[in-house]
Amino acid sequence: MPRPLALAVPEGRARPAPPREALAVAILAALAALCPFLLGWISLAPNRLLSPRPVALPMQAGTGIAVACFLTGCLGMVLLSRRGRGLPWAELSAALAFAGLLGAIGLGAGAVLGEAPRMARAMPAAGFWLAVLLLALGAGSCAAGRGATPSRFLALAVVGGGLLLALGLLDGLSVVREGQARGEELRTALVGHLALAGGALGLALLVALPLGLLALRQPRLEMALMTLANGFQVVPSIALFGLLMAPLASLATTWPALRSWGIGGIGAAPATLGIAAYLLLPLASGLLAGLRVAPPALVDAARGQGMTPWQILLRLRLPLGLGVILGGLRLAAVQAVGLATLAALIGGGGLGRLVFQGIGQLAADLILLGVMPVVALSLLVDAGLAALQARLGAAGSPGR
Amino acid sequence: MIRFEGVTRRYGERAAVDHVTLEVAKGRLCVLLGESGSGKSTLLRMVNRLAEPSAGRVLLRGRDVAGIEPETLRRGIGYVIQSVGLFPHWQVAENIATVPRLLGWETGRIATRVDALLALVGLDPARFRDRYPHELSGGQAQRVGLARALAADPPVLLMDEPFSALDPGTRRDLQRELRRIHGETGKTILFVTHDVEEALALADLLAVLEDGRLIAQGRPAQVMEQDGERSVRRLFGEESMAFHRLATLPAQALAQPEDAEDDLPVLPAGASLKQALLLMLELGADRVAVLPDGPHGGGTLYWADLVRAA
Repeated sequence: MPRPLALAVPEGRARPAPPREALAVAILAALAALCPFLLGWISLAPNRLLSPRPVALPMQAGTGIAVACFLTGCLGMVLLSRRGRGLPWAELSAALAFAGLLGAIGLGAGAVLGEAPRMARAMPAAGFWLAVLLLALGAGSCAAGRGATPSRFLALAVVGGGLLLALGLLDGLSVVREGQARGEELRTALVGHLALAGGALGLALLVALPLGLLALRQPRLEMALMTLANGFQVVPSIALFGLLMAPLASLATTWPALRSWGIGGIGAAPATLGIAAYLLLPLASGLLAGLRVAPPALVDAARGQGMTPWQILLRLRLPLGLGVILGGLRLAAVQAVGLATLAALIGGGGLGRLVFQGIGQLAADLILLGVMPVVALSLLVDAGLAALQARLGAAGSPGR
Repeated sequence: MIRFEGVTRRYGERAAVDHVTLEVAKGRLCVLLGESGSGKSTLLRMVNRLAEPSAGRVLLRGRDVAGIEPETLRRGIGYVIQSVGLFPHWQVAENIATVPRLLGWETGRIATRVDALLALVGLDPARFRDRYPHELSGGQAQRVGLARALAADPPVLLMDEPFSALDPGTRRDLQRELRRIHGETGKTILFVTHDVEEALALADLLAVLEDGRLIAQGRPAQVMEQDGERSVRRLFGEESMAFHRLATLPAQALAQPEDAEDDLPVLPAGASLKQALLLMLELGADRVAVLPDGPHGGGTLYWADLVRAA
């Protein structure tokens, strides 16, 4: 006797509606998959001075696997994002697509160069860059589903890229060659950049923390501090560096001993000072807003229980405002990494040196060599502090 | 226990508190009654030095509070405010333990004390100890606020409109609880409110403030006397004076000492004439039986006697 098949399908098992982000992710992934095919994977320039032209991606085992990874990643984004629970996986799938794409052009560049003249240089074509942008946007849409930044995509993309680089699969790319040729210079620039950004952030914290704490109680000091911090934001950074030149130069002339500490009209000292001036606003306003998260009635209750001002600060204001304070720190840290690029203009070193040198020589690879670590640093700092903010900020207000 | 001696607090030209002299004996529940801006909160906050007098002095157990370091002073005084002010990132137990921890009690002693206090304010320790403030209703939060104020067993409690933000039913429950806790612990309580009925339900000693001046003080019945000051009558509402006055008088005082008939409605012991009136209105009765209580014998309370008293 035939069984009633209709009963075998339980009722009410309708598929859950795809999340809002599904359509955006699908479109972005599809476009990303198309881009390299339409606009080219890699370009070849006969030498450093001539313009590059797109060339076909040489098909062989390595590139084939890489392209397959790329397309699988894109397809994965489309399929996984159809369920709300799949969104984090779709984000990781975007990272897979990125790694595949990077591997494809790395291997492709190596193969193309094998048949090209010795001076030839291979670099990513427009299709690569556009696809990377679309993948990042797609990952961003996935992360928006859980109300966060695409930190998982970034982390995996960085790990994947680093792995490919370490395995030597990207050695054919001109920017990697440029980096290898200037390895020492790049390291110095990176260290200098970190020192500039870190030093400026430290200096700004040194000023903003005590003044912010004092300003909490003294409205007039708060007004002065915020006016000053806002004022710095209005001055263009080059102008600020210029303005700092004269007083610092005269200081160094008056006390020559200062010169031995690197203080003078140009160099790292005025650059650090200038950058620190810009960081004052995000730090001070974040700190003050954070310290005011605890409502006045709560502070009154704490005083009434016999807490000292110090205890109120440490046990009440800081834990409750930590999320907001870290938000200000995050903004300032990212700004510091970006602004440190400009230090090269007044001889302050940092990754900006490579960028400006590249601009001077019309060498796109050199510019890229300077810019990419800046972007990576910014993203890293932002993602790191965002994670810290999410963890500590949530601890301050459980269940909210 | 608490003595205000010619206390004045000026903000610029305006005197928020103007030459107030008031004494609250040990174990009394003193209600400071007044409209907003009458200076009642400022007066209260001068006891734990959240406000400082411009002139005069505040004595606590005979000592001028100005001579005691503010934090030390405050740890020895319970403090409850309208917005409760529980620390949102601490669990109920941690909130209650605020002052004991500041005083450096050992953890075992604190845990025992917290459970005892939760039980005292009518919350099951096992259920409430580990909750966060946002998991509490308004009434539960203020019970925790009261427990926190009592944590280090201070002899004095300051309560600044503690029940004003609660709905009427919860407010009456908490008023009853406060009277019970006051009876059990014998604390000296200074209680600020703008609610006339709340003041009459709680006060041993009533102090009425207007524009920073103390315009009446005494037992509630004294303050409510028929020929009282005009501004007091205005505050209580001219037309409901009689009703409020009944709330200050015990029902036993007017009861005829006779054996009550068996089928009369019975008034609970310790009830006021207001409650007797409400019971008569409710049941349409012209007399009720009054149970004996303390010095008073029981008897029958007649409608005519009650009306004459008002």
